[in-house]
Amino acid sequence: MSWFKKEFGTKQPITWCPGCPNHMTLEAVKKALKKIVKGKIKQKDVVMATGIGCHPKIFDYLNIGGIYGLHGRVLPTCLGMKLGNPNLIVLGFAGDGDTYAEGMGHFIHAGRYNCDMTLFVSDNQSFSLTTGQPTPTTQQGYKSKVNPFGEFNQPLNPIKLALASGVSFVARVNARDIQHTAEILEKAIKHKGFSFIEIIQDCLIFNKDINNKDNLMYKIKDNDDKKKAEALADQWNYNTKEGKIPIGVIYKIEKPILSDEWPQLIKLKEKSIGWKGL
Amino acid sequence: MRLNILIGGEAGQGINKISEIVSTVMNYYGYYTFNYRDYPSLVRGGHNFNILCISDTKVASYESVLDGIVAMDELTIKLHKSQLKKDGFVIPVKGFENLGRNINVAQSGALLKVLGLGKQALIDEVNNQFHNEESNKAAELGYNSQENKYNLEELSNAISKITGNQGIAKGAINSGINMYLAYPMTPSTGVLHELGSSQEKHGHMVFQAENEIAVVNSALGASFAGAKTMIGTSGGGYDLMTEGLSLQGMSEIPLVVYLASRPGPATGVPTYTMQGDLDVALRSGHGEFPRVVIAPGDAIEAIEKTNEAFYLAEKFGTLAILLGDKHLAESEFSFSEQPNNPIKFKVRRKVPGEAIVKASSYEHDKYGNTTEDANIACENGIKRLEKYAKIKQECKNFEMIKIHGNPDSKNLIIGWGSTKGAILDAIDGLDYKFLQILYAKPLSDDIKEHIQNSDKVILVENNLTGQMGYLIREKTGISIKNRILKFDARPFTSDKLREEISKF
Repeated sequence: MSWFKKEFGTKQPITWCPGCPNHMTLEAVKKALKKIVKGKIKQKDVVMATGIGCHPKIFDYLNIGGIYGLHGRVLPTCLGMKLGNPNLIVLGFAGDGDTYAEGMGHFIHAGRYNCDMTLFVSDNQSFSLTTGQPTPTTQQGYKSKVNPFGEFNQPLNPIKLALASGVSFVARVNARDIQHTAEILEKAIKHKGFSFIEIIQDCLIFNKDINNKDNLMYKIKDNDDKKKAEALADQWNYNTKEGKIPIGVIYKIEKPILSDEWPQLIKLKEKSIGWKGL
Repeated sequence: MRLNILIGGEAGQGINKISEIVSTVMNYYGYYTFNYRDYPSLVRGGHNFNILCISDTKVASYESVLDGIVAMDELTIKLHKSQLKKDGFVIPVKGFENLGRNINVAQSGALLKVLGLGKQALIDEVNNQFHNEESNKAAELGYNSQENKYNLEELSNAISKITGNQGIAKGAINSGINMYLAYPMTPSTGVLHELGSSQEKHGHMVFQAENEIAVVNSALGASFAGAKTMIGTSGGGYDLMTEGLSLQGMSEIPLVVYLASRPGPATGVPTYTMQGDLDVALRSGHGEFPRVVIAPGDAIEAIEKTNEAFYLAEKFGTLAILLGDKHLAESEFSFSEQPNNPIKFKVRRKVPGEAIVKASSYEHDKYGNTTEDANIACENGIKRLEKYAKIKQECKNFEMIKIHGNPDSKNLIIGWGSTKGAILDAIDGLDYKFLQILYAKPLSDDIKEHIQNSDKVILVENNLTGQMGYLIREKTGISIKNRILKFDARPFTSDKLREEISKF
């Protein structure tokens, strides 16, 4: 562990709750970065954009550059960095409230653009930093200070939405399984096009009713069949602790990507420069 | 000599082509032109008109009384004949009905004959535009259908013409723009089209994002990665962007924003003009952070000031807002002078790929890491203040205000932005000094002295509340009592403005 800290960590004190799965996600990200950053790819070639919430605090704990952006705006910020220099490896770290509430529109369009970048959504089915309000993936019946009657709204299934939006790499991982998460993250980053990874994680403080689903989770082989992907997406409805929760690469397809379509960006890629280098 | 000619018809009939052909030919013969566009928010039908002002001296406005009407439909004559002078002329469609798509070409020819200039430049221009014999014949037919009325002679001025939006685009290209992002919104869309269609020629990139929130956040991402970046919008889209502008304030990523305003609130009068958004340009975005707000008054200033905005944004890592309106954006200006040589500058800051660089929406330490430390918060606040002081100092190298008219006059008119043309034409020959404000933020310290040295001060603004007047009061303590405010969603005409001025 100490080696990773030196390589990709920072001295910033970590302010996640003790035992929060975010600590494990951080280690998985460092492991994946270790695989990505080698040879021609330097640490300074990897950038991240983060939203606002618990998980995006990873910005301070990773020694890579980027923008600690606005709540909900991870995807447009990532897209901009990629347009500004198509040779960068661009990672987005966001939460469920971030992505599916405040920034929902961007998520759908990211599938259309298929820009070569990767979005990690840490989904604990709760707005935790603001003390436990429901998000679009919160289960029905969840009682909070906002709604003492319990949440009425149906939870969104982001995997199904990603498939419907044409996202070219859709995966799900369990934050607690560091090794498996690191492997999938690496695959997502290496995928040419827009990659989306849902990281299922517990919140130890708020919305605890939906925690401890590890026994439902099972690993799948990388899948490139759309029908099968849709069936896999249907196996868990986010509403209960019933059914099965497949983790791994749910769908993967090669499609034309934004940075390979625009002549201006192709030119920058050929020269291995950003706009500044022109 | 100054002629105001209204060219009207349904949307889609091609009135803009008449303005274009006639003004190009008139510019060729050495005449100045100014073309005002008036159109409702619809695609086909309705009633659109242009007022083309033709002059042997500089002109940047039009008048309310017409010398002639070119009517592509009956409605145009019905609606506007009351504005026509007693001896005014009308060029109807009659005689050209069978020309199909070339009716407007024939009417262009007819108008040029009335004005009394030679045929060859007309035929050259029509040929240049359409490359077909039918259009050439229509031009000739139109030309031969009229009698010469004005006997205008060829002048020796070398004149070119562009719209305010084209000026903004030109200024961006002169600054070495790499990335323009926008979501379509009148009246800023002209820049989106102008820069979009010139991508191949100039090598920059234009991206139309899913909404203005994406536009501003992607722009900050691109600029952070090293691209010289501009975004453009109008009031509603600008409102959506404002959280992103605040992110600019904290992250200090350079950003140029073109805000082409139109009458609000909300959707307002979307294809018309108003100077109602000075306040939001100055104050939008939460928190306290530096910015520059520049308001060009014509197309040449649009070229120059866009370049200054790019330069200031990059040099100081600041927000630079170019504030225009529909009257500046879509009117076509003609001129014989050349804009100043652009300031050349490079992106010198470290960008990703060269180093590990962090930018943040949180208050942050020198490494870019989040902090809630009271001392750092305080220091950073002071740094933002100091940065603004440096920006203000730098801006003194540019024309923050301009003095027109009689510089020694004790009668002062203050205006800004697109009212420049009407004010200049209204005070022509009168004993007035016109102080044009180009930088609304920082505001020039010289304004106070100009006001104090004058016996009579009149504020002219194309809005309801006199926002520049309030800004001047805020900065100088002086309240300007004499105000000419116009808020019917239409620009000032120089003759009516002259009447208003004469009341004081």
